[in-house]
Amino acid sequence: MKLSYRKGQMAVASVMLAVMGSAAMADVPSWCGPNEASLALVDGFGGNSWRLVTTASGQAEAALCPSITDYQYADGQGNTQKAISDIKSFAARGTKAIVVFGDAGPAVLPALKAAYEAGSVVVPYRVDVGGEAGKDYTKFIGSSFKDDGVSWGNWIKSILPDGGNVLFLSGPAGNSQGLDELAGMKTVLDDKYVFINPEPFDVTNWDPSLTQQVLSAEIAKNEKIDVIVSDFGPSLVGALPVFKKFNRSIPAIATSDGNSLGCFWTDNVKDNPDFKLFTVATGNDNVRLAVQWAVAAATGGTPPTDEIFKAPVFEDSVSGSPSAVQCRPDLPGSIYLSATMSGDDQAKAVNK
Amino acid sequence: MTASPHPTKPTPALVSPFVVAKGFITVVAASLLLIVLCLVFAPSSVAQGALAGSLPFAAVLAIVGLGQMLVVQQGGFDLSVAGGVSLAVVISTHYPAGDSALLLPAVLMAYGCAIAAGVVNGWLVGFARLNAIVATIGMNALIYGAVFAVSGGVPKITTPLLAEIAGGDSFGVGHAVYFAGAILIIVAFVMKKTIAGRRFEAIGANPLAAAAIGLNVRRHQMMAYVLAQLLYCTAGLLIAGITSQPTAFQGDSLLLPSVAVVVLGGTSLLGGRGFPISTVIAALFLNQLSQFAFAVGVPYSAQTIIQALALGFGIGIYAIRGPSFANKINKLSTREEDNEAIVS
Repeated sequence: MKLSYRKGQMAVASVMLAVMGSAAMADVPSWCGPNEASLALVDGFGGNSWRLVTTASGQAEAALCPSITDYQYADGQGNTQKAISDIKSFAARGTKAIVVFGDAGPAVLPALKAAYEAGSVVVPYRVDVGGEAGKDYTKFIGSSFKDDGVSWGNWIKSILPDGGNVLFLSGPAGNSQGLDELAGMKTVLDDKYVFINPEPFDVTNWDPSLTQQVLSAEIAKNEKIDVIVSDFGPSLVGALPVFKKFNRSIPAIATSDGNSLGCFWTDNVKDNPDFKLFTVATGNDNVRLAVQWAVAAATGGTPPTDEIFKAPVFEDSVSGSPSAVQCRPDLPGSIYLSATMSGDDQAKAVNK
Repeated sequence: MTASPHPTKPTPALVSPFVVAKGFITVVAASLLLIVLCLVFAPSSVAQGALAGSLPFAAVLAIVGLGQMLVVQQGGFDLSVAGGVSLAVVISTHYPAGDSALLLPAVLMAYGCAIAAGVVNGWLVGFARLNAIVATIGMNALIYGAVFAVSGGVPKITTPLLAEIAGGDSFGVGHAVYFAGAILIIVAFVMKKTIAGRRFEAIGANPLAAAAIGLNVRRHQMMAYVLAQLLYCTAGLLIAGITSQPTAFQGDSLLLPSVAVVVLGGTSLLGGRGFPISTVIAALFLNQLSQFAFAVGVPYSAQTIIQALALGFGIGIYAIRGPSFANKINKLSTREEDNEAIVS
């Protein structure tokens, strides 16, 4: 009896183990292969809340794959030399997969190429670094800023079918993100829609104080602004109260999301009858796609089907679809509710 | 002939500190010219709403400029402007984290840090005799370390109370403008009308002579850096209130303009007399110049060029030495400066 009891116990245990094992196997995503590998995330500049949430998202994605035995992060602190030396240092340590936010653009390409030639899987993302996939690095995972422009353009068309005045604000002069977004908008908007900013966009450096100065000059200059387009929504929050000084309603806004902006809309929509809000996801999840590609190549997994990150539409105050405007007043203003990572986890990431 | 005696001494008006300075005339003339240009080519840039939006930023620049002026008067340069302003911004936004009740301790903490940074700067330059540029650039790096320690480089939203105090307005004018006005009055009064202020200028004009008559040169030089940091801190607190979500690097864009307004205001980079009123007018001038460029709607590259040309022109005026009249004025003002230094 004892023996058979024991046998029975073992049988149950082995069945349970098998069930647990298969469950664990089912949880492992297809991009995570069987070969063990180390992964490093290299940031050109890590000093804002968007980057903190993005870094935490990249780490969370890497943690989904048990084959990743070691995860490292380096912050270039806006210093191109440091970013280059970070990349080289990971390559020298034999890190198998390196995911790079190449803020400095083509300046980091030689370092990427050296790491790639030394045998690492190198995946730059979001910022175009030039070069060629398969020759200078493994794969570039870009973001479709043009699609953002198309989404904004379609929404502008839906709320202003007869045309109107559009004010477009972007970051530093000549930044490729702003140019792509403008190209996207222009595929949808015809001549009825007049861009009242200097070509190609008003330069704000994504700095809230400069944004405020530029916006007050534009409001004074233009009697009629029907819609403001900005690729960094939260930087508008400080500037929008300027409309009140002119006794005018805040107009419609097409931009990217941010908790502070959602809460600003919620607090001010009553006093500003023209204030409609439309946002695309600000793109923290771009890093997840890049990590998936890097891990797939390093561990022998199946690469994802997407090769480019398309920021989904997030909030629309007019249609409420796919989501109404969201505000979590209990969480910091500097988090992004569009990200896959939960608001509470983001709050931990930005408050650490 | 007896009815019209010729005085042998110069009339009091010639040595009076109220003689209008060349810097003042230049900066006022340039500002008036700019206002006329604005009225003709970009009337929207002088509309009430536009001024209400831009004047608070001019006020911040004016306060930072006054701080830099104090240091320049002692023959120094303060490159820790950016750090000083940014540290005040992050302390006043991160420590309270949206809770207005914690604003007062945060403000006190910010001023405490400003005094500490100023004392170290002042000691390095005044007592350890380090080059001012080297000392303050090192201090700036240290302060930025503190900025990262406090904020992690992340912006935080301003407390409602600070937004009301610094960003609100009374009678259609932003509170920041009142702050700048009050600070200007204090700086101008103390410097021109008190013994301490007169000593301060005299030491800047000629530290050797000042030391020879027994003035404490080093202590005054140190005080310039401390007072400058206090003014940067005030400017940082105002920025934190004016912009609802200030970045952790808000001071960076103020370094060059802070030197520019001092030079445009006519204060010599070699030290000596300071011109607080002219410095503040120069801040208004620079601010209006960028508003003009925005309002004209020229491309960003042209905006930058317009500002650079205006600045070059403004500074160039002081470098031009006319053959006769201007020389006389220069000699007169030098003599007047010497007289003042001796009187002080």
